[in-house]
Amino acid sequence: MDNAYLLGIFAVMGVATFITRALPFVALSKVARHPILDRYGKSLPPMIMVVLVYFGLVSLEIESIDRGGLSGLSLAIVIVLHAYLRNPLLSILAGTGVYVVGIQGFGL
Amino acid sequence: MSQSVASDFIEAFKDSAPVMFGYVPLGMAFGVLFQGLGYHWLFAPLAGVMIYAGSAQFMAVGLLAAGVSYAEAFVATLVLNSRHIFYGLSVMSRYPKGGLTRWYLIFGLTDETYSLITAKPPASSGGARYFAYLTGLNQSYWVIGCALGAGLQSFFAFDSRGFEFALVALFLVLLIEQVRTMSERWLLVVALGASVLAYSLFPNQFLLVAIGLCLAVLVVRLRSGGVHG
Repeated sequence: MDNAYLLGIFAVMGVATFITRALPFVALSKVARHPILDRYGKSLPPMIMVVLVYFGLVSLEIESIDRGGLSGLSLAIVIVLHAYLRNPLLSILAGTGVYVVGIQGFGL
Repeated sequence: MSQSVASDFIEAFKDSAPVMFGYVPLGMAFGVLFQGLGYHWLFAPLAGVMIYAGSAQFMAVGLLAAGVSYAEAFVATLVLNSRHIFYGLSVMSRYPKGGLTRWYLIFGLTDETYSLITAKPPASSGGARYFAYLTGLNQSYWVIGCALGAGLQSFFAFDSRGFEFALVALFLVLLIEQVRTMSERWLLVVALGASVLAYSLFPNQFLLVAIGLCLAVLVVRLRSGGVHG
């Protein structure tokens, strides 16, 4: 095993990741106080959240009706719990718990 | 404003707890996968320290197995993580303007950290110190997961199937929180449409294309001057 090669790959990937995260801060630092940026700052996050939820659902690789039903049930639990109780941890734990038990316990 | 160090930390810990339930099992999954390469297990948490990007680290396992060049790894990572370029837009006005904290916060701006920070109402956030704790805690969950997965794999096989749902649930909860304070909810339908379109046309670059489409609609919307506020 070539440890130097491994560390080189880690370093290169770490730098590339940092560049993608730092680019707007470096490129747009002059306009950081511009009001137009505040508007993006308000409207963009919920839109990105929709995209991330969709991405998460796609990554679950729902290939059977059972799995689809389990996913739907778990999502519904999260939505209902959070709409009424507004406790993020509870909503996430309950939904994930049902999903994990469904997959590991019932083989869905 | 002048919250104590302890209360900032406790608030960050409470807010970041859901990420812990997503990052630890996901980091373990990476660790298990990484162990298949045959390197010392300590390199798995090191990847979490140096790279700190979930999808990039999973890709790294494939790149290392294939023995790609540094240049290929660099370009592949830039492409994979390019969605992060949009994240800075929403948080830059709330981040400290200089210093080491600023650069660490930028380094640690993952999907989940971004979600937590943008879900926090600006008035209630404890400032740079709160953000630093939040980012540091999230990264520590990830590094611990990477170490556990790789280190413990020889002792017992941890069944992490299903835990990936925690991240979907987290995004969903944060979406519900953000929808409460959103004025133009039709933009959410646009985002859903952009997701469906991006996934059917470019499944490999899904996140970048979908977020790019959302931003394009916002640009047109703001240019047309229809937004008051």
